[in-house]
Amino acid sequence: MGYPMEQRDCDFSRILQQMIDKTNALTALLVTKEGISVAEAGDTSYLNTTAMSALVAGMFSATREVARMVGETQFSILLQQGENRHIHIGLIADSKMLVIIFEDFSRIGLVRYEARRICPQLEEAFRREASSDSREAKIGTPLFKEYALNLIDRIFETK
Amino acid sequence: MPHINYRDKQLSFKIVYYGPGLSGKTTNLMYIHQALEKDRRGDIVVLDTAEERTLFFDFFPLELGRIEGYSVHFNMYTVPGQVYYEASRRLILEGADGVVFVADSHEGRMADNVESFCMLQTNLTSFGLDWQRFPLVLQYNKRDLVEVLPLGTLERELGLNGIPVLEAVATAGTGVMETIRTVSRHVIQKFQL
Ligand SMILES: Nc1nc2c(ncn2[C@@H]2O[C@H](COP(=O)(O)OP(=O)(O)OP(=O)(O)O)[C@@H](O)[C@H]2O)c(=O)[nH]1
Ligand SMILES: [Mg+2]
Repeated sequence: MGYPMEQRDCDFSRILQQMIDKTNALTALLVTKEGISVAEAGDTSYLNTTAMSALVAGMFSATREVARMVGETQFSILLQQGENRHIHIGLIADSKMLVIIFEDFSRIGLVRYEARRICPQLEEAFRREASSDSREAKIGTPLFKEYALNLIDRIFETK
Repeated sequence: MPHINYRDKQLSFKIVYYGPGLSGKTTNLMYIHQALEKDRRGDIVVLDTAEERTLFFDFFPLELGRIEGYSVHFNMYTVPGQVYYEASRRLILEGADGVVFVADSHEGRMADNVESFCMLQTNLTSFGLDWQRFPLVLQYNKRDLVEVLPLGTLERELGLNGIPVLEAVATAGTGVMETIRTVSRHVIQKFQL
């Protein structure tokens, strides 16, 4: 509501960054259920976020099936405890995953609390984005398709 | 429907390699991955068993390039072909924008090809898709074998009309790029906002 464009653009990253500051977590990612990363905060230099997002989405859909088998609709949280690094994954608005990577396991309570706390903020940001009118009709046009087909012919050329 | 991120101006399509166990899906994907320029492709993720059978999926992201200010991506997946991984196959197939059906040309694999294709049809239908209008190509792989199914056998058995058909020897890379090119072109042509 009345947000200037740039401010809206960094909503997700800002929310994630605040959570990182409070929990001292290493990295946070927001991943769609299709396996695409839509926002990142913290240190991502050590991480292949594209592959990570595809895998996390796969994990979550597998977990959904496991949940069904025991009569649940979904487990809303996945927690992986490692030697030095741990991952907390929470479901947001049934279609996105909030991935938090952190190192100090004694902070798990804080991580869980913060993950839950920023949930409504993220949901609100998604709603704002969906209703904002930043959509352009440039993709899907005949010209767009022509460019795309040319790229495809070039990239998948037979050697 | 591809995934569109208006904020970051990203458009991502999902291509899935489907087919019976050992038909050569992973071999197709690996060949494409190594044939692409390094700055266009992301790392390949292979989730397999000790016997190199796909357990969950193989995956790599490909950046097609920038079009009209949008960065266009193709995310490539293979499903596990073994019959008992049906639940995984469904999960990976969901949201696909195009499918390559990799058939095993070995004569003895006819029934497996048919069974796998029927599952593909069932799954696409259950996602509310009209599989007859869905971007789908049929690849007869392993054309180097001695006794191969003649082209047309599967189309006849399955009642497929007008589906693009390609021959391949994935281990040698023959027909692999033609296949991905054909399915990608269909995906783009069918794409509508
Ligand atoms: N002769 C021959 N063998 C092939 C060809 N393509 C693949 N293969 C072999 O077939 C075997 C299975 O190939 P994969 O690519 O792993 O098969 P897949 O479809 O991914 O199998 P699953 O993951 O179990 O579903 C391997 O030993 C390949 O080397 C081909 O064109 N000709
Ligand atoms: Mg495989």
